[in-house]
Amino acid sequence: MPAQSIHIKDLRKVYIVTQQETGAKATVKSLVRRRKQEIAAVDNISFDLAPGEIVGFLGPNGAGKTTTLKMLSGLLHPTSGEATVLGYVPWKREKSFLKQITLVMGQRNQLVWDIPAQNTFELNRAIYRIPAEDYRRMVAELTALLELGPLLHKPVRNLSLGERMKCEIAAALLHRPSVVFLDEPTIGLDVTMQRRIRAFIAEYNRRFEATVLLTSHYMADVEALCKRVVVIHRGKLLFDGELARLVQSFTEHKTIVVQIGDCQNDLASYGEVISCEGGRFTLRVPKDKTARITERLLADLPVIDLLVEDPPIEEVIERVFAQENP
Amino acid sequence: MKALLDLYTQQFKTTLATMVAYRASLLIWMLGQVLEPLVYLIVWSIVSNSSGGSIGGYATSQFAAYFLLLMLVNQVTYTWIMYEFEYRIREGLLSIALLKPVHPIHSDIANNLSSKLITTPFMILVALALVPVFHPSLPLVPWAIVLFFPALLLAFAIRFLLEWTLAQSAFWTTRVGAVNQVYFVLMLFLSGQFAPLTLLPFPVQVAAYVLPFRWIIAFPIELVSGRLTLNEAFIGLGAQAAWLLASYFLFRIVWRAGVKIYAAVGA
Amino acid sequence: MNYLRLLTAFFWVSVAGEVAYRVNFFFQLFQSLVSLGIAVTGLSVIFSYADTLGGWSQDAVLALVGVYLFVGGFIGLIVQPGMEEFIESVHDGTLDFTLTKPEDAQLLVSIRRINIWSIIDIALGLGVLVYSLVRLGEQVGIGEAAEFLLVLTAGAVIIYSFFLILATLSFWFVRVENFLTIFQSMYEAGRWPVSLYPGWLRYGLTFVIPVAFATTVPAEALTGRLTWLTLVIAVALAVFLFITSRVFWRIGLRHYSGASA
Repeated sequence: MPAQSIHIKDLRKVYIVTQQETGAKATVKSLVRRRKQEIAAVDNISFDLAPGEIVGFLGPNGAGKTTTLKMLSGLLHPTSGEATVLGYVPWKREKSFLKQITLVMGQRNQLVWDIPAQNTFELNRAIYRIPAEDYRRMVAELTALLELGPLLHKPVRNLSLGERMKCEIAAALLHRPSVVFLDEPTIGLDVTMQRRIRAFIAEYNRRFEATVLLTSHYMADVEALCKRVVVIHRGKLLFDGELARLVQSFTEHKTIVVQIGDCQNDLASYGEVISCEGGRFTLRVPKDKTARITERLLADLPVIDLLVEDPPIEEVIERVFAQENP
Repeated sequence: MKALLDLYTQQFKTTLATMVAYRASLLIWMLGQVLEPLVYLIVWSIVSNSSGGSIGGYATSQFAAYFLLLMLVNQVTYTWIMYEFEYRIREGLLSIALLKPVHPIHSDIANNLSSKLITTPFMILVALALVPVFHPSLPLVPWAIVLFFPALLLAFAIRFLLEWTLAQSAFWTTRVGAVNQVYFVLMLFLSGQFAPLTLLPFPVQVAAYVLPFRWIIAFPIELVSGRLTLNEAFIGLGAQAAWLLASYFLFRIVWRAGVKIYAAVGA
Repeated sequence: MNYLRLLTAFFWVSVAGEVAYRVNFFFQLFQSLVSLGIAVTGLSVIFSYADTLGGWSQDAVLALVGVYLFVGGFIGLIVQPGMEEFIESVHDGTLDFTLTKPEDAQLLVSIRRINIWSIIDIALGLGVLVYSLVRLGEQVGIGEAAEFLLVLTAGAVIIYSFFLILATLSFWFVRVENFLTIFQSMYEAGRWPVSLYPGWLRYGLTFVIPVAFATTVPAEALTGRLTWLTLVIAVALAVFLFITSRVFWRIGLRHYSGASA
């Protein structure tokens, strides 16, 4: 087993799109000659994952996350660059490679619709050639961890979205892959279900020492699971490191939440007033001035409560991306 | 009235756009429409040729004329509402239609007519192209040709109303496919799609005359082929008018009952 | 045998899926019987006017109808459902799931969906075949039976490869389902001996859309009409199309995954 579970170097995926402008003249022109433009969905990215790491892969829509996952799972050939997963070149799609990975895509089902999930499990057992004993044990473990009990024998179409997602994940993990790619696994689920699935992923990672690469929109996913995040935007890597450091390095501000009697006062002199509700002000202040402003607030006003926070990570990420915008 | 005209115009534009988008399926559908009568044309021609050139009052060239005309008459009278109605109910589209102040049948009429404005010329071209291949013979009887058009119109109206009514079986059963299939079998044999009616056993012919099927397809064809006397032609037109009336009443009754059931069950 | 194991697994999944809709059985039975009724009635009307149809006796044409139903059932059982689902999966992205499985994608795609009710058509077709063979009596011997099995298999391979080639087009084009519908319409013409049709139509139904190899050619074998030339062409075409469809499939897959040509 190589040192790195996943190794990516200068990976690049370029798509050629035809330009279509509006207007009659342009439409006629496009019949004869189409203007082609190269778009780099993934633009020379490099990073490695050690065995057993859970890494969050963040980025806005269209940033290149899904494209990267598809290259790592062998679905797409890159335009240039290299990547190996467990020592294999993914797009060669060797059987022994495919048996050790899995790809879970939120909102897309591999479960057969009209029949109980149990049947799809059996199907996967045949496809992955899982020995009977291992299969039985795995089903039992997954059933316990995900609380699948009554769900397995109901037709999939009768399950709620959250129940379906749990079964989807179970079906994807029956063959005990050591590399797990999760593409927006909690999208569309309610908060409780999101939490359960997060807990499960953490447990699977712990128990089976699997490497997990997770893309998500939801900061809560990333905060809960990933010590390390990789941020991608417009195909380029913006950040690779600890989540805490991400917050630190990309923000020059902190948030002060101060509770006073009411919203009558104008606190603009202390900092940027984000909001006020029932006397609870949210202020954005420059990081290096936080201490001084806090002093002043406590001295000047009848403060009932005061809290100094990092700005919400969503905001941080937005700013990270905003930096890329001219 | 003006509102209706507006509706029909709008529907025409929509239909046109849809047909352009689905031109591949359209082409394939027309291929099927041509192929079925073509196969029967060929088979009956072979039987006719091997029996001395004619059977049952039809020479080989007259078989050719019959089936080429069948393509056209079928094309002009064709409806597809039986396939769609169940889908509409299932997808809640019917509820949306019921909220409008216009009876749903109008948009179907408009849609049907609009699409035929485009497909019928094609069909005529195809039929003309097949003339040098199969050498049909058709006597030119002026009054027959003149009466052909009202007969065709009546045939279309009867077929449309009947099939629209039949489509409403979706209110009572989900096995619409089975209902449709029975209808298609009856149409195939009793309306003259399989063979000219005079070639079928007598009891079948009687059934065809008594039921509306003959009046939908076979009658206009026999009329324009000059096989009927002027008397028979007028009686036939009368029969068509009677069936049109009957179809209309059937349509009203079934629709009212259907909507009641639909509203009771919940949209 | 790995293929057999997978096929069994998919078969039972399909059965489980359909058993939930028990009433489908009677519905399908009804439809198939009506189809059969139409064919037989049509035949009896036609043969009330002539003894032979282009050299084919009534029992011979009946045998053809049997082959038509039988092969139609085979197509409806396993060829068409898989290809239809494959075409869908290219567009809704679920093909990716198939591609991350450690089995040959073409195999998975071909056996993934089985419409078990088509077994009714297969059974009916078989029944009609046997009935007409009994009536044809001594005309059918061991030689004919062997040829029949050979060209029937060749016909099945040809049909499968044809469907696969059409379905593979969905890697490049949208709405390929239409092409599958062409086959449906054309297949209807296979109820009658293709040799009856004028040259251009016969050519189209043999080499453009291979309906003839599915229906007429096996029926020819059974009724002793098969020429050596036809047999050789059938087998050669089967081999050729099987290889071609496989190559085309791999090209399509490479295109889908963005491999350089």
